[in-house]
Amino acid sequence: MSELSANLPPRRDRFRWLNSLWPWLCAASVALSVLMLAALLTLLAVRGLGHFWPASLEEVTLRSGESFAGQAVREVTLPQQEGDERLYFTGNRDIDGARWRWVAVDEIARRTQPADLIRLERTPWGDFIGRLEAIEQHDQRWEGEAAWQRLNALLALPISQRQDSQLLLTTTNGETLRQPLANVVSAQAPNAMSAWQKVHAWGEGVWRFLSEGPRAANTSGGVWPAIFGTVLMVILMSVMVTPFGVLAAIYLNEIAHQGRLTRFVRIGVRNLAGVPSIVYGVFGLGVFVYGIGGSLDEWFFSDTLPSPTFGTGGLLWASLTLALLTLPVVIVATEEGLARIPEAQREGAVALGATRLEMLTRIVLPMAAPAMLTGVILAIARAAGEVAPLMLVGVAKLAPQMPLDGEFPYLHLERKFMHLGYHLFDTAFHGEDVQAAIPLVYATALLLVLIVLTLNLTAIFLRHYLRRQRGNEC
Amino acid sequence: MLASLHSAHTSQAPVTHFAADRCCLSIDHFSLAYAGKPALRDLTLSVPRHRVTAFIGPSGCGKSTLLRAINRLHDLNESVAHSGHILLEGQDIHDSQMNVTELRRRVGMVFQTPNPFPMSIYENVAFGLRLQQRMPKRKRDDIIEWALTSAALWDEVKDRLHRSAWQLSGGQQQRLVIARTLAVQPDVLLLDEPASALDPISTLKIEELIRNLKSQLTLVLVTHNMQQAARVSDYTAFLHQGELVEYGPTDQVFTNPRLQRTENYITGRIT
Amino acid sequence: MARCLISWVWFANDPDMTPPRLTTHRQPLRLIKDRVATGLITAGGVGVLLAILAIGVFLVWETLPLLAIGDTLAMAKLSPLAWGTLKAAVAALLFAIPVALGAAIYSALFMSARLRSRIKPTLEMMEAIPGVVVGFIAGLILAPWVERHLASTLALIIWLPLSVGLAGLAWRLMNKKLRRRLPFSWAGLWLVPWLALMVALALWLTPWIEQQWLGGDLRQLLDQRFGMDYATRNAMIVGIAMGFAVIPSIYSLAEDALADVPTSLIEGAQALGASRWQALWRVALVAAGPGIFSAVMIGAGRAVGETMIVLMASGNTALFSASPFEGMRSMAAAIAIELPEAAPGGLTYHLLILAALVLFIFTFLVNTLAEIVRQRLRRRYRHLGGS
Repeated sequence: MSELSANLPPRRDRFRWLNSLWPWLCAASVALSVLMLAALLTLLAVRGLGHFWPASLEEVTLRSGESFAGQAVREVTLPQQEGDERLYFTGNRDIDGARWRWVAVDEIARRTQPADLIRLERTPWGDFIGRLEAIEQHDQRWEGEAAWQRLNALLALPISQRQDSQLLLTTTNGETLRQPLANVVSAQAPNAMSAWQKVHAWGEGVWRFLSEGPRAANTSGGVWPAIFGTVLMVILMSVMVTPFGVLAAIYLNEIAHQGRLTRFVRIGVRNLAGVPSIVYGVFGLGVFVYGIGGSLDEWFFSDTLPSPTFGTGGLLWASLTLALLTLPVVIVATEEGLARIPEAQREGAVALGATRLEMLTRIVLPMAAPAMLTGVILAIARAAGEVAPLMLVGVAKLAPQMPLDGEFPYLHLERKFMHLGYHLFDTAFHGEDVQAAIPLVYATALLLVLIVLTLNLTAIFLRHYLRRQRGNEC
Repeated sequence: MLASLHSAHTSQAPVTHFAADRCCLSIDHFSLAYAGKPALRDLTLSVPRHRVTAFIGPSGCGKSTLLRAINRLHDLNESVAHSGHILLEGQDIHDSQMNVTELRRRVGMVFQTPNPFPMSIYENVAFGLRLQQRMPKRKRDDIIEWALTSAALWDEVKDRLHRSAWQLSGGQQQRLVIARTLAVQPDVLLLDEPASALDPISTLKIEELIRNLKSQLTLVLVTHNMQQAARVSDYTAFLHQGELVEYGPTDQVFTNPRLQRTENYITGRIT
Repeated sequence: MARCLISWVWFANDPDMTPPRLTTHRQPLRLIKDRVATGLITAGGVGVLLAILAIGVFLVWETLPLLAIGDTLAMAKLSPLAWGTLKAAVAALLFAIPVALGAAIYSALFMSARLRSRIKPTLEMMEAIPGVVVGFIAGLILAPWVERHLASTLALIIWLPLSVGLAGLAWRLMNKKLRRRLPFSWAGLWLVPWLALMVALALWLTPWIEQQWLGGDLRQLLDQRFGMDYATRNAMIVGIAMGFAVIPSIYSLAEDALADVPTSLIEGAQALGASRWQALWRVALVAAGPGIFSAVMIGAGRAVGETMIVLMASGNTALFSASPFEGMRSMAAAIAIELPEAAPGGLTYHLLILAALVLFIFTFLVNTLAEIVRQRLRRRYRHLGGS
């Protein structure tokens, strides 16, 4: 034995220590991926949800004697110099012309948080930060604390009943302003709020975000139309993709001759799931919008030409395109479910005298149902997060009309619609004041991620449950 | 060894014939090829009514293939070709007049591993009935009770008819599958190694059931367990490499086989 | 068996009696239904498959007019886009391949089964995060941050692997009891806080280092010394963001391939005296090589076609530049922006559809190749008798 090993050339041991480093680098890759994912989700959660928390307002006096009120947003180190710089959201665009203010921290002489500072959300001009002096209604006048209570009482009324009131406001540097109450959306005095009141206001903020439409060119307000558009589009898409996907899967797995051709078709279908979504968008635009839509316009809507009805992007074309995009997902998932059903079940049914249709509908399809459901949920999750193809086939930054309303025929398939993902993209990249929109973008992104992750988790659990149930069978 | 097998093959296989009125199933010069490879070669035999006939032979000899052919289960597979005839009560099962689903109702089949459907015990037995015709619930209940009783399962499951069939033990599942088949009132019951996946006690129960059932219908049993064939069958056919080697009353085949090849298999020299 | 005597049911006790058969009047209807349904399913199935096929046909049909125009113009218009696509994909893969393969190797071969059953679905969930969200974070949050902390970012790339080596060294020196509480098979989890700590440390230290040795601002240094422009949204940002999006697909497939290598192979190698890492490097990685290759291919396909991330994180400048600090414009992004404005039938329209065709053919070929390789691999393992 020792003679044998003596004959072998000596091993190079110089880089041996590397051998024990590699596994650590591999472990670190997992850790890094987890860290990145956690960081992304935490960032979204904190910034997305934190936006609705009533932030304290500060009254800042500078060394120069000037003072202003605002909400501290963030601090960065000054380039090339010592010290930090702080960004304040000051609002009052109608008075100051700007909503943001950078101040060097060293220049601040005094910061206080007076309880009487209020923040008003208004439809033109955005937020106001300052003090409420009085409310005037006809010839009545409330001042001080009474004015604040009166304001809250009035805000609880519908807009039509508060037309005739005026607010008298002052900013911290002494300018006054008359503000019609009709334009005020909400009012807060965050410095005076208790923790419980803040939680309440936070919940209200979240609810308004989910239930209201966007305002001020998408930089404030809610995302309700986008949620509605996304859900409607996804529902239409599932209605189209489910039957066809299942049909194709049944054909491939149960009826088609299992030969070379079927195998190629199967690989092809599988690979279509990897084709970029934008390519489907191009197909949707060229075939559905310009091709079919254009012809429909010529045949049925020629009186409104040249303004297109179906010859432009819309709800129908968007859901059709996404149905095509998610078809492979549904086919693959359903086929997997069908292939998992033991042949003995099929033979058992056939041996009892069932026709193929009876075998399929009574035994095979019920058994494959969870797999189909998994496929459809995965398809929905993919469609909900997909933006690129929608940009070509019918999404709008601001749809004037909802695609579903009380007007005949109620569901307007030709209308453009809003979509959460596109809303996010548009607000973040085409808004006029990106700085102001970012908190809302965070909230939208969080919502989108939550929806998609929830759908995916459901699919994962369904599949897991399915496998376990199948495991008990033997 | 091979030489002896070959010589046995050349002599005409001894076959027991039954009078037409005693014959339930007759197989006439039947051959079957799977994707070009012959699996059954020129089989001729007839199966007597109300008896248990066992097909024995080493694995791959074609006994299961023959059973599946009688049920026309090969229809699902396009690469199977056959020639010759299989007659059920004098009618060719491949005849264009013959309705496949009706044939499969008349020829029940039980597989090696129990394959209850993922539904309740009751629904499993009702499955075949629901395919055939609408009937009042009371009548269906009666048939189900009768089928489960015939399969010696009624007493064990009568209190949990609406529980999942997958909760039953393996032996119970196999008897449930038999009950499910009996419910559509077949003329012939084909059993493809029905006890090979079961424990000894369940096996005994199934064997007892087979003996009891022959008063009601014709049974064809495929098994690789010689003792089982000897215990339950009246007639035994020995198949080897897709050919019928010997066929006759079980006593005779087991105690006094006419051919060397049969004896070699029975005594365990061919496996 | 007494019940068998119930008169209507059975005939055995009275052989002369014709058995009371179940009536089968529904037979013809059942058969017709079956025929019709089979026909419908076939028609539907074939129809769906043809509709899918129509995508390719349409793209080819719409690019045919370009043949009349000649290819020089098309080349001039498309080559910066192709370059941008390539650059973005390469940047993403440079980041994604090491991380994803490392993660796959660790989780298939070293990780404890319990942790693996949690981590794998978690990382696969990364794939579901919409590109538009990743793009937003990359373009609006990460890009300005990196611009301000360029030195720290570059330092992190060097520092993190070193710090992992440090962790490994520290683990070696730990006493047995502590080592048992922090087993290597769970390192994927307990290294997370360590990495977070190291990131924080690097961020805290690098400004000082930058001040001392790099003259205060790395960006100025780059500009003056090397003449490199720095765009806020650049290839490095795209690489990180799209790498993040591509990691899960590469990881998932490569992990499957590695986990499918029969353990007997690895054990056999170890029995011959190879260390665990040698056994992996020489045996498992080689055996799973085709699977890993197809994972990378599929990752590349995804990186080439991803639209929103490039659109949002790249600055969309159609430049020919290899610098990691400059932007680019990819084909997918160009299609998304320009196609809605292009007049149908116009030159731009056809050119953009040509770009889509290129994407389609490329991803389809890459995926088919990957799928064939994967299937062949699976068949080979079946011969080996691996599970």
